[in-house]
Amino acid sequence: MGINWKELADNAKSRSDIYGLMSTVFREEPSGGLIKEMRSSRLSEIFTDLGVELGERFYTNPESKVVEELAIEYTRLFIGPGPHISAHESIFCEMDGDTGGLWGVKTVEVKKFIETTGLDYGKEFTGLPDHISVELEFMQKLAEWETDMWLQQDRKRAEHCLTVQRKFLEQHLFCWVNQFCDAVMNEAEIPFYRAMAELSKQYMEFERQSIAIDTAA
Amino acid sequence: MKKLNRRNFMKLAAGGGSALAAGLGFSQGALAGSIKLQEGGRDFSPTTKKELQAIPTACWQCVTRDAMMGYVEDGRLVKLEGHPDSIRTLGKLCAKGQAGVNHVYFPDRILYPMLRVGKRGEHKWKRVSWDEALDLMASKLKPLLDAGTPELFMYQYGRHKGSQSSIMHDFMDAFGSHTIGTHTSVCEGPKWVGQESLWGGMYDNWDYDHTDFVVNFGSNQFETHTNHIPTSQRLISAMVDRNVPLYTFDVRLSNTAAKSTEWIPINVGMDGLVMLSMVNVIMNEKLFRKDHLKYMRVSPDYHASDDEKIAAIKEHVAKFTPEFAEKESGVPADKIKQIARGYAKAKSACLIGYRGTVMHFHGADQERAAMLLSAITNNLDRKGGRVMGVGAGWKAPHSPKAKLQKGLDIVNGFPGEAAFPTHQVSQQNLPMIKDGQNGRPKVYWSSCNNQAFINGNNKEAEAVLKDESLIPFYVNSNIVYDETSQYADLILPDVTYLERWDTEDMVSPTGVAEFYIRQPLIKPLGESRDQGEIFAGLAKRLGIELAYTTKEEYVRQSCEMTPGVREAGGFEYMKKHGVWHDKNAKPNFGFYEAKVDVSGDGVILDEKTGVYWNYKKAGVSEAEASSKGYLGVEGAKDAYVAQNIEGTPRKAYPPNTSFLKSGLLDFYSDNFAAKGFPPFPTYTPIPEHQKMGKDDLHLTTYKVAVHTHSRTAHCKWLSEIKHDNPAWINSKTAADRGIKEGDRIKVASDLGEITTTAHVTEGIIPGIIAISHHFGRQHSGIYGSGKSSPTPGGATADPDAKNMWWDKHGTHPNSIIPNSSDPISGGQRWMDTVVRVAKA
Repeated sequence: MGINWKELADNAKSRSDIYGLMSTVFREEPSGGLIKEMRSSRLSEIFTDLGVELGERFYTNPESKVVEELAIEYTRLFIGPGPHISAHESIFCEMDGDTGGLWGVKTVEVKKFIETTGLDYGKEFTGLPDHISVELEFMQKLAEWETDMWLQQDRKRAEHCLTVQRKFLEQHLFCWVNQFCDAVMNEAEIPFYRAMAELSKQYMEFERQSIAIDTAA
Repeated sequence: MKKLNRRNFMKLAAGGGSALAAGLGFSQGALAGSIKLQEGGRDFSPTTKKELQAIPTACWQCVTRDAMMGYVEDGRLVKLEGHPDSIRTLGKLCAKGQAGVNHVYFPDRILYPMLRVGKRGEHKWKRVSWDEALDLMASKLKPLLDAGTPELFMYQYGRHKGSQSSIMHDFMDAFGSHTIGTHTSVCEGPKWVGQESLWGGMYDNWDYDHTDFVVNFGSNQFETHTNHIPTSQRLISAMVDRNVPLYTFDVRLSNTAAKSTEWIPINVGMDGLVMLSMVNVIMNEKLFRKDHLKYMRVSPDYHASDDEKIAAIKEHVAKFTPEFAEKESGVPADKIKQIARGYAKAKSACLIGYRGTVMHFHGADQERAAMLLSAITNNLDRKGGRVMGVGAGWKAPHSPKAKLQKGLDIVNGFPGEAAFPTHQVSQQNLPMIKDGQNGRPKVYWSSCNNQAFINGNNKEAEAVLKDESLIPFYVNSNIVYDETSQYADLILPDVTYLERWDTEDMVSPTGVAEFYIRQPLIKPLGESRDQGEIFAGLAKRLGIELAYTTKEEYVRQSCEMTPGVREAGGFEYMKKHGVWHDKNAKPNFGFYEAKVDVSGDGVILDEKTGVYWNYKKAGVSEAEASSKGYLGVEGAKDAYVAQNIEGTPRKAYPPNTSFLKSGLLDFYSDNFAAKGFPPFPTYTPIPEHQKMGKDDLHLTTYKVAVHTHSRTAHCKWLSEIKHDNPAWINSKTAADRGIKEGDRIKVASDLGEITTTAHVTEGIIPGIIAISHHFGRQHSGIYGSGKSSPTPGGATADPDAKNMWWDKHGTHPNSIIPNSSDPISGGQRWMDTVVRVAKA
């Protein structure tokens, strides 16, 4: 039986889209557009089907109110002022010789990893290189590239890309995403971020199993 | 939630994909470019994997501001150490300096502008963009300009020095507001006022490189000195290499006292009295030196002979015998005589004094006594003695000033509170805003000044900051959430000093000025932004013209404008080397002896004072100059030329501060007499101490080596070393109250009560209690306060937080210390509070 290029491409594209959604959610305060889309029948049905509970007020309150509430919640959870959930790998992952804190050894590793693939950090981006949303966006872009390779029936490159993704997951995202999601689930006061964290955690677990980590890679 | 499976995975992906396809979510991704896995992207060395850069810059933990080197690896700041070419620091950097790295990377750092969305103090915030933040500020400031009330914009700063200060003043001048609050009166104001009343320019330094004898009153020189690293290492070298003795008078066995030749315990507030009794000994035993007498004024007579001056000084100090001083100060008379003799007979000698001496009632007068002791032994501005500080004289660009310049009279204390508040009365800024009699700012912006922590009665400060009817719009620039920023309407994320540009100018212990700069070691994290850039952003919105657009440009212009630095290579030289000094320059000891040409047009001699001054420069006619005299013409002191010293015009001590005086050292001060204060240095008992009950104790505060007052609690390396502040109490004093080591105790003043822990020790005199003032933080991150958050949060996500082996975070004493000012200088009287102490 031959290779089903389309199925492989669709699968990669699906993974890319989910990473994209998660990256969007954790990047910054949700825009009105995102709220509108997430309240649309298409996504709300999916969320309902999955048991992702965004709370009744998410659907019933005026959009502007939801935007405002989530902006405050986002700031409280991820920005501060004062202690908050710093959404950076270097905060969650310890390394020998590192003393913890922002822009740690892990940050540099993430930055190098990403830059080694040819990507760079946008001039307008003011965050830190190992922000959760950046790592998720990186996975989104890798999976997107993998999609293109499958569509071009370039198995070698597509599989190489998968290897790179596995490495990044193993060396970075998997090391801390569960902890991060647990922290968000514990501290969130509005169902939205609790639900998104739970969904992200679930997805990463699904990813861990489905992408079949090749530890020898 | 259901478990994800293949089917719902695809459905979720389809939903997510449609949302993304709609272009929703964020406007721009973090990552740019395209993936080039096979072609290879940027490469990194497989062998070293790292790039190490050494960048010269300057510290800013404390006011010493040492030149230093930052080491950056892969874009990460990994280490700070002293600058090897600095003539000030000789390559050393203290623990605080080395822990500066913690400022940049602590997880609780403020990285984005935030707008308050709840009530003040409710800790409810929303991130906003810089444009939104600056637009909001401009919308509050513009109406003030339009209404011709620029003074209703108040800027309050703490540690602003070098270009951080000059650029702020430039902006405020361009705006037209003189309502600028400082912090010096809670730090060391009385010291400067005392010195300004004598030798004009202030800031003394000590020539430890050449001294033979050192006497220290109330300065923790080896732990926390205002010019710590440059001076402490030199004093240690003097002691070790040349056997120079160091005698330390202190109520407490500080580490400085412990390292001294001898610790001389002394009662609270008695430093000036012991100094005057030393003067008594030196004068009566004829150990004084006449050299400086001709530069001294010790009676109303400007023309007194040496003999008359000697007699006058003797008369002034006659009652301050060592025996009298012993009775009051607890220092044995024989010890006073011994140290006085040693001090006077030494070839050269330094006299140090600091907060322990001056942060009292009439603290400024105690500093005048210190100057007197230096002058009669000819140790003032002489090699090996107490010398005038020399710092770098940077030039800086100036923006056009606003035509309208106004200021609220709320920075110099309540009417009649301080006679000479030349360094303001900042502890009363918020109480005066509360009072409202002299007006209130409509826009209040504070930077690097934690008013609700550093002043006395800080609960009142919090209440004022919280009250929107008193301060309608409050902006706070900060890197950490603290006792003050919690009440802001808008928090602006400040850069750390390791991410910004500055020219720096702190005093050099060698007497040769060191010019040095601060430059960013890394790009500012997040959206943190330098004040200079914020000024530029505001100016643009307010239609104000500034002479610069970025802080870097401001510093660049300074480097190109400043003689010496310019010729050395200007900005590019300073970027590369960090420090510069004139290798041909010599210490300016004895500057006051310089002969002055008085043949210039308009220069006349004022017979009464012996001052040569230029009446034309003062803007008066010769006739008016003659009839009114130097002291009678407003602005005449700015036209000072020289002082007639035994028939020769000499530079002497020009009146270059707000004090109207001749070129003589005004030990007899008409300024003081006119305001009802003793014209000659004297001993004035502290009123509160005269009314103490038998169970009352003195409360004093002090600093430790590894913290600044309020800006380092979040530095984990420092808080690991020092995080608690048990109250020091003498074993006898403790026993009288049934207090044992580690007991919980209550310390109560008329203002309130705190509960803390007792540290019972022989290292403090009986009858007092001493509490350091760094700890007991409400916020300042998990390392500073131990609290996970003002709101639920994830501070413990910092991997190092689990290594916090300590659970004590100290008690802040300022809530029981009233804001009470030295009536001479306006300095906060930290050391005069009377308390009751009992077992809790």
